[in-house]
Amino acid sequence: MGQIDGFLKFNRELPSSRSPQERINDSEEIYLPFADEKTKTQAARCMDCGVPFCHSGCPLGNQIPDFNDAVFKEDWKEAYDILTSTNNFPEFTGRICPAPCEASCVLSINKNPVAIEHIEKSIIEKAFENGWVVPKTSDKTGKKVAVVGSGPAGMAAAAQLSKVGHEVTVFERDEVVGGLLRIGIPDFKLDKHVVERRVEILEKQGVTFKTNTNVGVDITASELVKEFDATVLCGGSTIPRDIPIPGRELKGIHFAMKFLGQQNRRVAGRDIKTEEILATGKNVLVIGGGDTGSDCVGTSNRHKAKSVTQIELLSKPPTDRTVKNPWPEWPMVVRTSTSHDEGCERDWAILTKEFIGNDKGELTGVKLVNIEWNEKGFTEIEGSEQIIPCELVLIAAGFVHPQKEGMLEQLGVEIDNRGNVIATEEEYLTSVKSVFAAGDMRRGQSLVVWAISEGREAARQVDEYLMGKSVLESKSASFFELG
Amino acid sequence: MRKCHLNTCPVGIATQNPELRKLFTGDPQHIVNFFTFIAMELREIMAELGFRTINEMVGKAKTLKVRTDLDHWKLQSLDLSPILYEREVNSNVGIYHQFDQDHELENILDRKLIADWKAGKTEVSYPIINIDRSAGAMLSYEISLKHKAKGLPTDSFNVNFTGSAGQSFGVFLAKGVKFNLEGEANDYVGKGLSGGKIVIKPPRESTFVPHENIIIGNVAFYGATSGRAFINGLGGERFCVRNSGAETVVEGVGDHGCEYMTGGKVIILGNVGKNFAAGMSGGVAYAFNPNDDFAINCNTEMVDIDQPDTNDLADVKSMVEEHLAETNSKMASYILNDWEALSKYFIKVMPHDMKRVLAEQKQQEEKVA
Repeated sequence: MGQIDGFLKFNRELPSSRSPQERINDSEEIYLPFADEKTKTQAARCMDCGVPFCHSGCPLGNQIPDFNDAVFKEDWKEAYDILTSTNNFPEFTGRICPAPCEASCVLSINKNPVAIEHIEKSIIEKAFENGWVVPKTSDKTGKKVAVVGSGPAGMAAAAQLSKVGHEVTVFERDEVVGGLLRIGIPDFKLDKHVVERRVEILEKQGVTFKTNTNVGVDITASELVKEFDATVLCGGSTIPRDIPIPGRELKGIHFAMKFLGQQNRRVAGRDIKTEEILATGKNVLVIGGGDTGSDCVGTSNRHKAKSVTQIELLSKPPTDRTVKNPWPEWPMVVRTSTSHDEGCERDWAILTKEFIGNDKGELTGVKLVNIEWNEKGFTEIEGSEQIIPCELVLIAAGFVHPQKEGMLEQLGVEIDNRGNVIATEEEYLTSVKSVFAAGDMRRGQSLVVWAISEGREAARQVDEYLMGKSVLESKSASFFELG
Repeated sequence: MRKCHLNTCPVGIATQNPELRKLFTGDPQHIVNFFTFIAMELREIMAELGFRTINEMVGKAKTLKVRTDLDHWKLQSLDLSPILYEREVNSNVGIYHQFDQDHELENILDRKLIADWKAGKTEVSYPIINIDRSAGAMLSYEISLKHKAKGLPTDSFNVNFTGSAGQSFGVFLAKGVKFNLEGEANDYVGKGLSGGKIVIKPPRESTFVPHENIIIGNVAFYGATSGRAFINGLGGERFCVRNSGAETVVEGVGDHGCEYMTGGKVIILGNVGKNFAAGMSGGVAYAFNPNDDFAINCNTEMVDIDQPDTNDLADVKSMVEEHLAETNSKMASYILNDWEALSKYFIKVMPHDMKRVLAEQKQQEEKVA
């Protein structure tokens, strides 16, 4: 612990961001630089509780008080070693993680939590600056592993497996590596250079990335399983939840991910391939109150939409924790993202009844109704129906399950009743020999930090399967000795 | 949280900081509720079992059932039947507290010591046996009642004991009292020693080698705050645990010696057991280490093992000389006879934080000078 009474002396402080008026004109990240000295002060707020709830709050089990202490002592290399002993990609989680660690920080019982995510990001950026982030390799094992999907789960699995000497090939159906990190999360939240920088390290570490290769189409799943000693399925949960109501077929109604993916390609100067979806000059309605919806808000504002409205089916959460939702649980409270700060209308407990169009089949409005939640479900509030003008609807209502057609069907892996691939959290092994599954494809839609965790844990299981034993870190077997 | 000792309890419980205490969200009514619930649940269980009072329940082991839904590995080899055995007793045998125990305090050894001291005697002799517990406690009470913490002038009331002392021999012994025991003593010798002096040596007719034989029990000088002690023989486990000021010489100790010690001085003329100096945050220990085997038993989480300097050795020498004078220790005599050659085998154990503070103080003083 750096400073025993640091939390009494210093307040939580985060880097300030560029003004909303300025930042909606570009797609750059929004935060301004923050002095090392200030980050050190933030690290001094860690109380090193003795029973660090942040460890269990973090899906990766990050050893947070230890790296905070190292930052306070300005031993950034030590901090980097501690951080990367549990997290392959702090540069991602340090930017886009909702930071469950901070929600479970003991300090947050009655004060603002330690700025863990900011410290995490500072450590990894310092490490890149100083050239400490280098490929990790060891003697070749001669084993070949295929990873399907290059999102955070696939990248984490590849990073771990190649580190211990397996020959890893990652298959990606898109034209670039990164999954939703690359095509999904807006550039203003995660600059794509950050992803590219990590992919380069992995390539140097010996990982082969095969983009534009759709397993199940360009190569059959059975060929893959035959060719490789083990296969890890990290294809994500890609089927979006639809809103099957009258007028759904109208022009101007799109799934959020299509819209966001186009924007990533646009920013990168790549071919968008299909018809462009632009919010420019339109009244935009985002259906879904989660992070993806928020990303649609930020992106629509960057397109210079005429108006942006975001609606959510569930009731508006309270501003503070309720008695039924005590620390250290994840707080079910209303969250305002930086995209919301850039301007939008938000409303809760709203049901979308109908999409309304003109005679050209173009969307012109949406019929909404207020609802009231009770124990049995919800009821519509009579007389609250309204039609709002709208030329673009973005459906951000979550993802239901992975895509079954193609790879999963060809493999014949067992699927659970939610539509996810069955593989236990202990073994990550599917019902098919030598085929493992990790990430959203296994657990259903979730956070990047969970994907990294799944990729790491699965990698250890694959390594054990191939070698009979494993020296890879996992949550049940850490190899890092604190100095 | 594990910060109860730092005055930084973030929820305002273990702290005197007014700002932090404001954060305490507890309410006396919560405690009242808690105890009401305990009493209520207890009543429910009692009613279920058919008991009206707690007294009726004492010893009724048959009402206890062993849980069968636990599969912890530690339970696998556990046979609980002896604990659950219920002895049938006659109705005239009490199985709960019905009358007070008579401690016979009016007849204890200390009554004689108090009378002697009050009569102005300066040296007395008594035999002692192991039912003579806490010898010196009530005497020290009387002395401190009259003289407060100052106690008596050094060695002004000397008691010579022979025999086998019971538990807590010389407990809280006040300044100016010297207990000189020829024989042996049970556990807790000199517990809370408060300025008195304790000398323990084997009977003069004994034939065993003192530095190879245990002469006092476990946990000697627990929480001692001041005073001196010379033990011509080995101590048991946890010698000088939580000692904060006493200075002792002993010829060897068992496991966990000097554990949690915060002050004082311990000189060991022989071996130490495992985990020596665990949690030791103050004071100093010296050990005679001719076989260079001390380090393997020392817990160096908080302490360093160093070579004593000239001043340290002079200090050690004077303590060992006093040990020889008081106990006629063969070990002390052996070391002192060849001091030039043997003193180099002493090692010094001191907490690293304390070393740092002392060094800083020294620097400060030099600056001032």
